[in-house]
Amino acid sequence: MHLRQTIALAAALALGLAVPASAQTKPVLTVYSYSSFVGKYGPGKTVKERFEAVCGCEVAYVAADDAGSLVGRLRLEGESTKADVVVGIDMNLAAEAKATGLFAPHGQPLTGLALPTPWKDDALLPFDWGYFAFVYDSNKLKTPPASLKDLVDNPNGPTVVVQDPRTSAPGLGLLLWMRQVYGDKAPEAWGKLKPRIVTVTKGWSEAYGLFLKGEADMVLSYSTSPAYHVGAEKKTNYRAAAFNEGHYLHVELAGMLRTAKDPELAKRFMAFVLSDQFQSAMPEGNWMFPARTPAAGLPASFNGLIEPARALLFAPEEVQSRRRAFTDEWLNATAR
Amino acid sequence: MNGRLRGQLAGALVLAGILALVAGSLGALASAAGASDGLSGIGPYLVRILAFSTAQAALSTLLSLALGVPLALALARRRFPGRHLALAALGAAAVMPAIVVVFAVVAVYGRGGWLSGLLAQFGIGPAFRVYGWPGILIGHVLLNAPLVARVALDALARVPAEHWRLARLLGFSPLAVLRHLDLPVLRAELAGLASLVFLLCFTSFAIVLTLGGGGRASLEVAIFEALRVDLDFARAAALSVVQIVLCGTVALALHRAVARAPVGHTLRAAIPRPDRDHRGLRLLDGAVLALGALLILPPLLSLAAALPHLSALLDADVARALVTSLAIALASAGLATGMALALAGAARSARLVQRSGRAAALYDLAPALVIAAPPFALTAGLFLLVRRAVDPALAGYALLPLMNALGALPFAYRFLAGPAMAGGERYGRLADLLRLRGLARLRIVDWPLLRRPFAAAFAMAMALSFGDFGVVALLGGSELRTLPYLLYERLGAYRLDEAAALGLLLVLVAFALAYASSRFTDVSH
Amino acid sequence: MPPDSASHPRLVLDEARVVYPDFVGRYSLAVEAGALCAVVGPSGGGKTTLLHLIAGFETAAGGSLTFAGRDLTALAPAERPLAMVFQDHNLFPHLTAFQNVALGVKPSLRPDESERQRVAEALAAVELSGLAERRPGEMSGGQRQRVAIARALVTRKPLLLLDEPFGALDPGLRRGMIRLVDDLRRARGITVLLTIHTPADILDIANTAAFVADGEVVAQGAPAAILDPARDPRIAAFLG
Repeated sequence: MHLRQTIALAAALALGLAVPASAQTKPVLTVYSYSSFVGKYGPGKTVKERFEAVCGCEVAYVAADDAGSLVGRLRLEGESTKADVVVGIDMNLAAEAKATGLFAPHGQPLTGLALPTPWKDDALLPFDWGYFAFVYDSNKLKTPPASLKDLVDNPNGPTVVVQDPRTSAPGLGLLLWMRQVYGDKAPEAWGKLKPRIVTVTKGWSEAYGLFLKGEADMVLSYSTSPAYHVGAEKKTNYRAAAFNEGHYLHVELAGMLRTAKDPELAKRFMAFVLSDQFQSAMPEGNWMFPARTPAAGLPASFNGLIEPARALLFAPEEVQSRRRAFTDEWLNATAR
Repeated sequence: MNGRLRGQLAGALVLAGILALVAGSLGALASAAGASDGLSGIGPYLVRILAFSTAQAALSTLLSLALGVPLALALARRRFPGRHLALAALGAAAVMPAIVVVFAVVAVYGRGGWLSGLLAQFGIGPAFRVYGWPGILIGHVLLNAPLVARVALDALARVPAEHWRLARLLGFSPLAVLRHLDLPVLRAELAGLASLVFLLCFTSFAIVLTLGGGGRASLEVAIFEALRVDLDFARAAALSVVQIVLCGTVALALHRAVARAPVGHTLRAAIPRPDRDHRGLRLLDGAVLALGALLILPPLLSLAAALPHLSALLDADVARALVTSLAIALASAGLATGMALALAGAARSARLVQRSGRAAALYDLAPALVIAAPPFALTAGLFLLVRRAVDPALAGYALLPLMNALGALPFAYRFLAGPAMAGGERYGRLADLLRLRGLARLRIVDWPLLRRPFAAAFAMAMALSFGDFGVVALLGGSELRTLPYLLYERLGAYRLDEAAALGLLLVLVAFALAYASSRFTDVSH
Repeated sequence: MPPDSASHPRLVLDEARVVYPDFVGRYSLAVEAGALCAVVGPSGGGKTTLLHLIAGFETAAGGSLTFAGRDLTALAPAERPLAMVFQDHNLFPHLTAFQNVALGVKPSLRPDESERQRVAEALAAVELSGLAERRPGEMSGGQRQRVAIARALVTRKPLLLLDEPFGALDPGLRRGMIRLVDDLRRARGITVLLTIHTPADILDIANTAAFVADGEVVAQGAPAAILDPARDPRIAAFLG
């Protein structure tokens, strides 16, 4: 490392440690989110800058390790939570989130959303979305399966790495997807797929990492994952396989808390969430579809992504009530 | 207070603190508002998890001991260039974060790994599938055989110098050396070591899931599920109690099965071992060392693939996280070794002064209790306890070092309990006679014996805390960011290379710490 | 080498050297066969190093070391015609007194009948027949040292080295133990070298004495005359 860089680094370090938070009198909006959203490559920084430019406030992030832990953290903190707004609740945990009774109505009109399904919830506001999809390397896998049934039924089909529905959002997504396509026959389908499931990981990160290291032909991820490889790495060989039964939908939600210190400010943030300023940071920041397409449209890296004919979905309340049974079914079908 | 119990004061306080902490946080969790199905809804699921966890943990423990003990013996008998590096590699391997272990194992044994690449050279197809039992066992042995070797090597150095002279004088065969010198000191460590490894494997999470091939879980997964997905805190608490009771039973059974032999007295000196020149043994040790290197080195070396990404990684974010991690690691290592010393002192006093093996066992088992208590549940419970009094974000600054210290306590205790006991047996009466107590006694009587193991314990506690993700996952935030936290953040943002570089950085720091401490702990230099 | 060495076995050190970075020992000493030689001198003066050199725990960096005319320097400790008793840690805590003694004949601990006999006899010689099944933790300090002596006897080696063997015992017991050693020496005709830092206990019993300081034998001669301050300033300093 060059000397100048070293000095700059040391200075940054000293400043960062000496001034943990700027001691201004501006109101502070505390935003709970997950780590990759607020992290170096996430859209959090852009969102913070853009909102601070218009709100006369300061945005302070508190990050949980992943979306799944946000609701748990809120439950733990209860009414003493410091959060004013939360960005990043997994739709499949929406029922649990609302059951905490901590959320206040967002008060935003729900028209003109780009979601493939109507959205009516008045407490939780969608801010981005995508489909679950199996991603593959087109250099290695020439003919990907054309449907979930194709993937499940072909004993010589591609190997997959998936996530555990007990610990990860995509894992739960696949569980529900299988259930949507196969109904009560889902356990048999899992049984057929089982020999080609290389492994079941704790979270999305491990699975995607294993896939990139060549451990499996396909990985359960998002339909928008290829956009990352195009946008950030200029690689076009990673693609999502389009399944003709339709794809299970994944929606990420934001909400404001009943206990927000400055409810007006929190409400302004909720309005900001659906603005172009926020939405245009999603595609290449969070690598998901924006909930409302910005006026400038989607970036070029999003061209050529698959467009499933049908969005599959269970209502959050149904997920809440049947998750245990689905999981047990899956465990019985895949236990070795 | 009764004079005979005075020596147990500090340890008793630590013990009471641990018990109160575990009971308090689980109690808070259990009584948290909200509906709970308790354990009734998951009965068969639970039974399956327990059966599998017990089997995999038992097998992992056996294999780790089977490799670790011979490795320690071979390292005790042999001097070779790079021996310190080998010891440091063991220290680093023993504290690798689970996620790093997963990727290291896959890099070597996976479908696209080194092994299959090598086999393909000889025209052998993908005959080996790592996911499943092999993956779990390799992952656990990779972590725990080095731990066993490290602690056992330390124990072997406690054979008194006179015994080595006697062995040479009486012309002991290698077998007699093993039987009369090595095994008695190993035996004193074995129960504690075996239960430590068993508990670590029993509560292992990411390795069991990701390398297990699917459909498998440890109890910790069910606890995670209850906490994070079902938000059924009462069930999380109930499952934690099940885990604590089970692990406690195993630890107690091992404690009983392998009675502690009275330790000889310690006198470290560089005495050449008489069995060094035996030709058969030399071959055996060579084979054991080669086997150990073959199993442990490739996964460690596979991490070096991230080396080119290391320089690009270093920015203000990472530097800050590094400093934060180091500060937390220092604090928790200090706490962990302090608690371990207090407990070890109390166990010694119970055994030598009060003459109560039962009381001593209580202190011996306290660290085991800490491993058995799932960190997720403990942290969540503590969070509930403190949230009314303290700002939760601030609480993280205190809870994180405390929780990491608790996590490192069992390791620190394994390093310190043996030498502390030896110090008591050797100088205890003299110290009593001179009315040496408390810190003065520690400084004058115990410190010379404890200095080296203390350095090892401190380094390992630091490295463990440094690589911990489980606790920071719940407590961390944009303000409190550690290196493992950044690792997951980058992994979650598709940045596999940066995550790998962070993993390498974690292991390098652990290696440096282990290297520094092995220069302290090894008697041959 | 003296012509009568074969018929009168004796221990001879001639300028035998031990070299450390911070310590150099160079020893010349002669002990008659069957004699009891007391090695006295200040702490840190090199008494233990002298014994370790004879036993083979230290390698001679020069000079000669012979016993009964036989060069010992190339021999491993176990091959040398000697047994040794240390101040402490002579016994293995996990073995009984009988087993600890039996190590002297069979390190594998599977003695045959005649060897068991030898062990029992050695224990009897130190008056410990009744304690054969006790472990070191259940014995007194004096009893433990007697077990160590029994083990030295059972090896039937002609030279016995004792390094401060009774330093931890109270004075009355110490005298008794020295008498025991002396009786065994007479009965079995062994040569004994014993280091001790309380010369008063032994000088009336020993046949010869050596004063060791600064890594060398400063004086050797009759026990009664060895502690003469006029012989060497270091002896004067030792006596205070």
